[in-house]
Amino acid sequence: MNTQDQSPGKPRRSLISQWNHLKEQLTAYLFLLPSILIIGIFGLFPIGYAIYMSLFNWRVTKGGFLGFDNYDKIVGDWGGLLLFLLGVALLVAAYWLWTSAFRSSSRGVVVAKVIAAILLVAVGFLLAGGWGRLMAGGDKKFWTSMMITLFYAIGTVPTQIILAMVLAYLLFQNIRGKDVFRMIYFLPYITPVVSTAVVFRSIFSPRETALANTVLSWFGAGPLKWLFEPRPFSQILFGWNIEGFWAGPSLALVTIILFGVWTFVGYNTVIFLAGLGSISKEIYEAAEIDGANAWGVFRNVTVPLLSPVTFYLFLVSFIGTFKAFNHIFVMEVPSAQGTVATASVEIFSIFYRANNYGYAAAQAIVLFLVILGLTFAQNKLLGKKVFYG
Amino acid sequence: MKTKLYGLMALMIVATMILAACTPKPTAQPTAVPTEAKTEAPVVTEAPTEAPTEAPVADEWANVDPTGQKIVFWHQHTKAREAALLEIIDEFNKTNEYGIEVTAEFQGSYSDIFNKMLPILNTPDVPDLVVAYQNQAATYQLADALVDMNSMVNSPKWGLTAEEQADFFPGFFAQDVFPNFGNARLGFPPNRSMEVLYYNLDWMKELGFENPPATPEEFKAIACAASQTPFSKATAEGSHGYELSIDTSRLASWTFAFGGDIYDYENGVFTLNSQAAIDSMTFLQGLFQEGCAKLVTEDYGDQTDFGNGTLMFAVGSSSGLPYYQSAAESGANHAWGVAAIPHTSADPVMNVYGASVSMPKTTPERELAAWLFLKYYTGTEAQAKWAIASQYFPVRASVAEGLTDYFASQPAYKTAFDMLKYGHFEPPVPGYDFVREEVNLALAAIADGADVKTTLDALNATANDILAEQMAQIKK
Repeated sequence: MNTQDQSPGKPRRSLISQWNHLKEQLTAYLFLLPSILIIGIFGLFPIGYAIYMSLFNWRVTKGGFLGFDNYDKIVGDWGGLLLFLLGVALLVAAYWLWTSAFRSSSRGVVVAKVIAAILLVAVGFLLAGGWGRLMAGGDKKFWTSMMITLFYAIGTVPTQIILAMVLAYLLFQNIRGKDVFRMIYFLPYITPVVSTAVVFRSIFSPRETALANTVLSWFGAGPLKWLFEPRPFSQILFGWNIEGFWAGPSLALVTIILFGVWTFVGYNTVIFLAGLGSISKEIYEAAEIDGANAWGVFRNVTVPLLSPVTFYLFLVSFIGTFKAFNHIFVMEVPSAQGTVATASVEIFSIFYRANNYGYAAAQAIVLFLVILGLTFAQNKLLGKKVFYG
Repeated sequence: MKTKLYGLMALMIVATMILAACTPKPTAQPTAVPTEAKTEAPVVTEAPTEAPTEAPVADEWANVDPTGQKIVFWHQHTKAREAALLEIIDEFNKTNEYGIEVTAEFQGSYSDIFNKMLPILNTPDVPDLVVAYQNQAATYQLADALVDMNSMVNSPKWGLTAEEQADFFPGFFAQDVFPNFGNARLGFPPNRSMEVLYYNLDWMKELGFENPPATPEEFKAIACAASQTPFSKATAEGSHGYELSIDTSRLASWTFAFGGDIYDYENGVFTLNSQAAIDSMTFLQGLFQEGCAKLVTEDYGDQTDFGNGTLMFAVGSSSGLPYYQSAAESGANHAWGVAAIPHTSADPVMNVYGASVSMPKTTPERELAAWLFLKYYTGTEAQAKWAIASQYFPVRASVAEGLTDYFASQPAYKTAFDMLKYGHFEPPVPGYDFVREEVNLALAAIADGADVKTTLDALNATANDILAEQMAQIKK
């Protein structure tokens, strides 16, 4: 029996089916059109336009075409950039080898991998010396602002996520007035950031009578200059006289980090609470039956099952800290001597004070690429550790 | 699938770039610049000598009709000043014979206005009039965005007569004429103010000093004495000689007082590392190191401390007179006064400044209507009201002559006004806002103990780099 249908109705049916399929596709695209237009006009077009601006000597008006000169001014030493990126890549490779080594069962392979990883870490650090070449040959203020941004991100994100997770866990228990606490923790997030930043400025004023200094005096400590202090936190706290990257953030930046944590911890707590709500109670009951104590349950049940939420918050917070502007702009004072000027603040300054739109656009694109790279790296490195149940 | 997606994204980016490339060019080109642009720091004198500008041959505004135009004026005034301005505007709207209607819009601080203006230059969104410092106007003009008001000022039909022009204090009147832009008049002055030294008279007497300090040495002696001996009537804790607010105008004022300048008008370069600047900053740093001075740590913190009787000296704008008065009245209620910044030169040199009103390019009808309001605003009647309400200095001699009663009731205002003849200005160059940011950082570093000469040398190099970049934008 011929399996092929030779009936004359078949091609017609096929045509109808194709038409229906096309109609479905068109309908789908039609539904997508509004969002494509919105994303295109308000999302992609500005990015494209910023790239376009960055290629010109665009001051108050558009000047001559510069090609990649603005980028060249930022980087200065492309060899340095290459070295730096290579260093970062090797660090990532070292991390991968290191984690693989601990998963391997063969003792010889483990030793070799561990040694290789340690070597690679060393090489990575050496190559990161390319950073020095970037600072020397490129736009020192911009690269310094990137370093400050990194300090801000590292200081803010892990602290607020850990605090939020703990708070969420506590608020998830059956405690009296937990709804009030939820609201209180969420308040800083919904209060206009400019006004709270102004209040923080007053709390962390260098005056002896400022609230922060009054609290310090209760413990017998002398007043600090807080937002006016350009010296590294490590120097003030431990008396270390380290310079450059390893000196860490200034006390002024640490104060702003405190503000960042205070503002966003409530938001993160609410997201974690939603995540906790989605964990099945049966798992907790099973853990209890197996004799797990509270810490064991938190460590082995709650934390892993919250990992998708943690990963999301980590990603979003990291991007947020790299774009942070408003509160830093409000809290920045000249006495901090530029130690709190994150990349966004520096770009704003180049845009509005120096009126160098083209160069500011190039800086913004570099910042965009850095955020993109970091997000990609986070996705690759941390994404695998997420437990989706 | 991924390749197609990336292809689509690349296509969209290319498309946006092509679209962006199709945006219209600015309508006008910047004005030509004289090859030997030389700026002279305008000297403020009490009595005008002659009309500083010459009348043009033809009146290009003669046939323009301003009837029925609606004018928007962006300003930064608040409270009593805003009320006075609105009153003046209301009067103009009611009385002008052309039915011109002016609307005042508060747009935030000077910086806010500057930031709002930059992205909209040469677009229909610009206001008809905008408050702008000279350096800000210079920046706007890099885009050829402002009207050169010379032809309006000198218009036989709409402008000011020679006598009226001569009534303006020459230094104020000339301050908005920019040699870098072909002597274009890019602003018109409604008021001016000056950096003065505020002192607590009662406290000074308690410490055994009868007169305000005339020299840096006297200043130091009183400031250091005050930092050790609190004022008997103080309403708060603390005792400070001088509080320095981190502001470029402070550095300029102290440098002027030490007989120098922060700008070389002959060569068109910053001189932020001049000997006078080094000496003045070394002097201030010494005050900090000896505990006789401290930084202002909150907005207007020096006013508050001055009012509470915990601060002997503050340096600030004379436009702050009503605020200092109110702070003192609601605080320690002490006698106080204003004086020249202590100086090493024979005569004081006072930092006079003030934002003018600039006119972004719109249509000839609206521009003329805007000018007619500006003419009214700087007229004798409105000026008298404005000077009293705002406590700014009037810009016309005849108005000052009519303020005798006011001078008698406000001795501090009169003292400051009498020092106008010693006035000197900060440079009206494009990019000065960016330079000011750098100066502020340097000033903070010096107060924190940084080496003065090294800091000022680095600052001067940076400032001149910024200036060179900005000047390179002026099309030859």
